[in-house]
Amino acid sequence: MGFSGVDYFGLDALLTPEQRLIRNTVRQFVDEEVLPIIKESFEAGRFPTQLIPKMAKLGLLGATLKEYGGAGIDAIAYGLAMQELERGDSGVRSFCSVQNGLVIYPIYTFGSPEQKERWLPKLIRGEAVGCFGLTEPEHGSDPGAMETVAKRDGNYFILNGTKAWITNATLADVAIVWAKLDGVIRGFLVERGTKGFSAAKIEHKLSMRASDTGELYLNDCRVPKENLLPHAEGLKSPLMCLNQARYGIAWGAVGAAMACYEEALQYAKERIQFNKPIASFQLVQQKLVEMLTEITKAQLICYRLGQLKEANQVKHTQISLAKRNNVAMALRCAHLARDILGANGITLDYHAMRHLVNLETVYTYEGTHDIHTLILGSDITGIESFR
Amino acid sequence: MKVLVCIKRVPDTGGGFRLTADGKRVDTTNLGFTISPHEECAVEEAIRIIEKHGGSSTVLTLGPAAAQEQLREALAKGINNAILLEADDYESWDPKAVAHAIAETVKPMGFDLLLFGNESADACNYQVGLRVAYLLDLPCVSGIKALEIQNGKAIAKRESSEGWEVYEVSLPAVFTVKEGINVPRHPSLRGIMAAKKIPIEQRKPARGDSPIARRRLKKPQEGRQLEILGQGVEAVGKVVAKLRELGAI
Ligand SMILES: Cc1cc2nc3c(=O)[nH]c(=O)nc-3n(C[C@H](O)[C@H](O)[C@H](O)COP(=O)(O)OP(=O)(O)OC[C@H]3O[C@@H](n4cnc5c(N)ncnc54)[C@H](O)[C@@H]3O)c2cc1C
Repeated sequence: MGFSGVDYFGLDALLTPEQRLIRNTVRQFVDEEVLPIIKESFEAGRFPTQLIPKMAKLGLLGATLKEYGGAGIDAIAYGLAMQELERGDSGVRSFCSVQNGLVIYPIYTFGSPEQKERWLPKLIRGEAVGCFGLTEPEHGSDPGAMETVAKRDGNYFILNGTKAWITNATLADVAIVWAKLDGVIRGFLVERGTKGFSAAKIEHKLSMRASDTGELYLNDCRVPKENLLPHAEGLKSPLMCLNQARYGIAWGAVGAAMACYEEALQYAKERIQFNKPIASFQLVQQKLVEMLTEITKAQLICYRLGQLKEANQVKHTQISLAKRNNVAMALRCAHLARDILGANGITLDYHAMRHLVNLETVYTYEGTHDIHTLILGSDITGIESFR
Repeated sequence: MKVLVCIKRVPDTGGGFRLTADGKRVDTTNLGFTISPHEECAVEEAIRIIEKHGGSSTVLTLGPAAAQEQLREALAKGINNAILLEADDYESWDPKAVAHAIAETVKPMGFDLLLFGNESADACNYQVGLRVAYLLDLPCVSGIKALEIQNGKAIAKRESSEGWEVYEVSLPAVFTVKEGINVPRHPSLRGIMAAKKIPIEQRKPARGDSPIARRRLKKPQEGRQLEILGQGVEAVGKVVAKLRELGAI
């Protein structure tokens, strides 16, 4: 029997038939294609690449674009799709977040017509994979201090530097590399196989094991001058991309939390201790109620955030609030679920602990929890406290 | 080839359900809706037949305005046209009334193939497809699990406990389809967005009489447990002990 959702406040009634159908379609896809294989992928520490053509066929790549073969779905439908994907696994959702928010979006928004023609159809059809290189070994929360540089050399740019913690790094056919040109942050399309460019997988991860994470090395890497994203300039440009991805993460986290809640609820009703289902004990009920309450609040945040995004009125600080709240909420739900599952909860036969360790990454990437606290703190007080 | 497929909007009871206070219906207040599983397979079969042989497919339902959601799902998967026979009180239409309305609608439309689900997931009457076939004076094979079109004829297979029954049927004809005939596809997100633009033909069917009225539904008691005491001779001791414990012997 497939997943039937957590909807205590009847939010389904607010969705359009298309939004519901898109959600249900991705839900079924996750039940049939992701959940049966995710344990092996996670254990093997590799991204299930066989999902790429399937996700493309479903229309998950470039889903919100109306051009270049994208499905053209609205912001809420997209959010619901990310919710369902992350109900499967944060790594699978990350693949889509990167491909959509961090690769297709910047090429579409900052790219030249030739760059769009060359890459968007392929990225949308899943025939090419992209990655986004902003973070460096020495610069995470403060990417403005990046050391990667670009220099002009006739019809070429020469790139030097290292990018770290890059999702899809070793899968990617094209990397969006952010580097300083004359002291200003610019975006470059670096294609796989370019001389001086290589990627290596980061091994021994305890989180996001079903996601490809690696480093990008640029050693006197020459890229043709046509590969500069003409309309991206300054830190604002990569941050605009991150906003797209963070929006999806705010929804995705709810999916992971829903999976944990459902699993804990079922388990609590079936697990007998002291001659009773553990669900009959007040402490366990309290944990379940707390999960349900927090999930419901997060769902309401997402719905409104989606409305604002669809109306082009969303502020990046609102996305920060949603990412910050929902990911912390999901992490707590995963922890409570793991607890309710007892010893069984530490195995991959159940989903809670996989979500728990994955969410540790989600808590950190795309702006750490605390960085979003500072973004919001600065917004409401008018006083910046980063430095 | 012109193919019709008839579907029904039914409550999605996967996550459990309650009955209304009068016990006549499933309480759908907090339930989603879906297409009956057999009919989902009928939709898939219709799409495959048109993909292979060309022509057009039409999906039809008799139900409330909200049943457009199920029609759109079929359109999103690849069905070409949709007809809604709008009846808000559809739950009180018996199979005879439903079949009459469908037959009246499709009679002038010249379909070669009319597909139904073997039975709906909620009412399980097993009747509408057969009745439509009767009203249109068409041949009908029910409960089929394979269908092919060869030289203008349909080859349909039905599974029985002994093996397969294979039928050759001249067209036009009616078939009621059973789950397992195929694995229904997912609609794509592109398909869903494109389906939004296809107009749905809406009609208000005249309601014939419905001689059957449902009195009430009863849910089996929840929490019943099944315990397997063992197999063969070894189980005898345990069975006796259990019967003693229950005071039966
Ligand atoms: C699995 C995974 C995938 C990733 N994918 C990508 C990707 O595709 N592309 C990409 O560019 N990056 C990616 N990242 C990198 C990610 O965005 C960074 O890890 C993140 O920005 C945090 O940077 P950091 O790890 O260097 O931590 P740091 O910035 O060193 O932070 C360490 C701690 O210090 C705190 N801190 C830092 N500054 C302050 C301050 N001013 N005030 C208070 N506290 C502060 C942080 O909140 C955190 O708790 C990924 C990371 C992981 C783990």
